[in-house]
Amino acid sequence: MHGIYGIYFRELLIFKSKFFKNLLASIISPLLFLFAFGFGIGKHTQIDGTNYIAFLLPGLLTMTSLNQAYGISSEINISRFYFKIFDEYLIAPIGRWQILLGESLYGVTKGLISAAIIIILAYILDVKFSMSFLFVVILLIHLLIFSMLGFSAALIVRNHGDQFAINSFIITPMVFLSGTFYPIDMMPSIIKYVVHIFPLTYTTKLIRDAFLYDRLTSLTYLFVSIFILISLFIFGIFIVRKIE
Amino acid sequence: MEINNIDIKDLTKLYNSFVAVDSVSFSVKKGDIVAILGPNGAGKTTLIKMLTGLLSPTKGTISYNSVNFSKSQNKIKKVIGLVPQENNIDRDISVYNNLLIHAILYGINYEERKKAILEALNFGELENYSHRLANELSGGLKRRLVIARAMLHKPKILFLDEPTVNLDPHSRRHIWNFIRKINNESQTTIFITTHYIEEAELLAKNVLIIDGGKIIASGSPDALKSRLGHFTLEIFKSDSIEYQFFHKRDEAIQFAGGLNCSFKIRELTLEDLYIKITGKRIE
Repeated sequence: MHGIYGIYFRELLIFKSKFFKNLLASIISPLLFLFAFGFGIGKHTQIDGTNYIAFLLPGLLTMTSLNQAYGISSEINISRFYFKIFDEYLIAPIGRWQILLGESLYGVTKGLISAAIIIILAYILDVKFSMSFLFVVILLIHLLIFSMLGFSAALIVRNHGDQFAINSFIITPMVFLSGTFYPIDMMPSIIKYVVHIFPLTYTTKLIRDAFLYDRLTSLTYLFVSIFILISLFIFGIFIVRKIE
Repeated sequence: MEINNIDIKDLTKLYNSFVAVDSVSFSVKKGDIVAILGPNGAGKTTLIKMLTGLLSPTKGTISYNSVNFSKSQNKIKKVIGLVPQENNIDRDISVYNNLLIHAILYGINYEERKKAILEALNFGELENYSHRLANELSGGLKRRLVIARAMLHKPKILFLDEPTVNLDPHSRRHIWNFIRKINNESQTTIFITTHYIEEAELLAKNVLIIDGGKIIASGSPDALKSRLGHFTLEIFKSDSIEYQFFHKRDEAIQFAGGLNCSFKIRELTLEDLYIKITGKRIE
């Protein structure tokens, strides 16, 4: 297990050295969306009987925490292709699976910090929310999914350009189409079905229901999310074992 | 775990149809310093990467103490140290923390970590830079940090991939002294890839000359050179330089006496052997 700890510790040291820059990056993006969507169109809008700002906040929580958790892909990419630090992990006497878990834990930590910022915003904006056990478990599943997705993406790509392409063609559409800003029921019928290929569609719904209403409305969504998580874990181990 | 012998048999690495390393076989004994000498693109780094587990061979076997490396990687990796070609250190954290991460990754106990790090700092003569950011170090100091890090877990085999490339002459000599010290003090087996002839001649007990992925000559520097002689006569013709090799200086002087162009007599180097075998210089 020293491999997991070593990698996690290393990432935390790097994160700490750029803490304020990272914190600012976590704050700016949700604030911009909150001002543009929440305060702009949300004052008098209700969705499913809920104030739009209250509806938007859990969406922003999933989006920003996703960005932070998935963002480990860029960091791994830089350490792999530019600084070659990833080789230090590959040559160390540790199981390759420990690299996956160490990096994923770091992604979860980053995601939790950004989630905490949204929770503070919710408190300031007087949005009623629940910090239940259910919410924490679902948030952890969400963060593990996107950390592991980021990890696998970083190992699949052959250069920074490939990473940029994945972000542009998969991550950005997913962020905007998975019910983050408005319910997927409001989307055109074909897209409504297509968005179910995105893991974010499931975790956004689960997080919103747990955060706002402290309820689990869809057991199917929970099982699908767990299935995605297990699949990404297995895929991540497969990829990291192959990496040279 | 002591490593008394390393046996490489028929080691091959293919990238699609490109042969990076071609059926390489050799054996190394404990305490040896092996220089892998060859031009850029000869396959030196690929060979080192296979020997350290960073790359899987397409064919062939690597055995440490007769244990197949591919079957028991983590056990053997504990006694391997690697100084890669690039200074792959974390620039945004301190020298101490760079070493601390390595100590954790190699499973050094909490109680022993501080001692191991201080020893590594002492070995690399980096005590005064312990709390400096790695990014603030000069190129020579960064190289010393990478070597100190590779030595932290007291490896029995150390791989150095082009350890002195891009260093100034002073730093280069400093690194050579480190390499000798490592070998003398702990009988560490050392593999060093280089395209500097001088480096191979000064440090190595055995040399593998590699070109196009194949070993084209191997042996001690003296044994390799004595295949040609001890002295080289460089004959400067109008459009080329020709080389003649002699066992005695007198023979070279006598031969040169009959020339009607400029010439130079010097001691024979490994590069002469390389040129003789391949028809080109190491670049």
